[in-house]
Amino acid sequence: MGTAPGIAPERTTEQRDALDRPWQVIVWNDPVTLMSYVVYVLQKLFGYDEATATRLMLQVHHEGKAVVASEPRERAEHHVARLHAHGLQATLSRA
Amino acid sequence: MIRREIVPIDGGIEVALPAAERRLLASLPAQLRAVLRGEAGPPDAHERLFPRASEDPDVEASYRELAAEGLLEERLGAVEAFAETLEAGETRRATWEVTLDEEAAAAWLSATNDARLVLASLLGITSEEDWEAGPEPDDAASAALHYLSWLQEALLAALRGEPLLED
Repeated sequence: MGTAPGIAPERTTEQRDALDRPWQVIVWNDPVTLMSYVVYVLQKLFGYDEATATRLMLQVHHEGKAVVASEPRERAEHHVARLHAHGLQATLSRA
Repeated sequence: MIRREIVPIDGGIEVALPAAERRLLASLPAQLRAVLRGEAGPPDAHERLFPRASEDPDVEASYRELAAEGLLEERLGAVEAFAETLEAGETRRATWEVTLDEEAAAAWLSATNDARLVLASLLGITSEEDWEAGPEPDDAASAALHYLSWLQEALLAALRGEPLLED
């Protein structure tokens, strides 16, 4: 938009981050973790009721992954850290 | 008779296990500390315990800076809390009994889950089909993995308020 290519790309990134475009917190399937443990962790960390946590767990199980939260980057990093602390495979990525 | 039950009580869980099983569990903390610190265990176990947060190197680096130290401390803290409860409780007629409050129960889940991840790495479990073989009777790691799976399910059932009785 009138800006020459290559000018201040960092600023553009910063501006985007400042807008707090949500980041997705994704939980990935793994062949070891117990289903009931995943439900427990999702309930504990996100306050989901058992039905919601179970639905997300089954999505992880059947589809390989599920988005369990969409948050500003810092919150998303925090959630990923909490999931990692509980032994789940989790990543964050821009929505 | 042998008493082996994990039942919900007010504010926590009551655990009763054969004393020999307490000894098996008591062998875990030292091994877990070493693996968590990256001093022992299969290399992919450490990677599994501390997985990447992103394929994007910048996002990953920023995450590591924020979280890495806290994650290790927290995991080690749970192992300590688990180890402490294993030294508590009472043994009567070959049954060991201990009461776990919610925090201690969470530490048990954390430590047993980390132990399962390490054992699964050691045994090369990389797909859900690998479980079809079941426990390998002559392999201590395999037996421990399946035992810890039972224990974790029993703890989770008790936390949900459902007693899971065995034997």
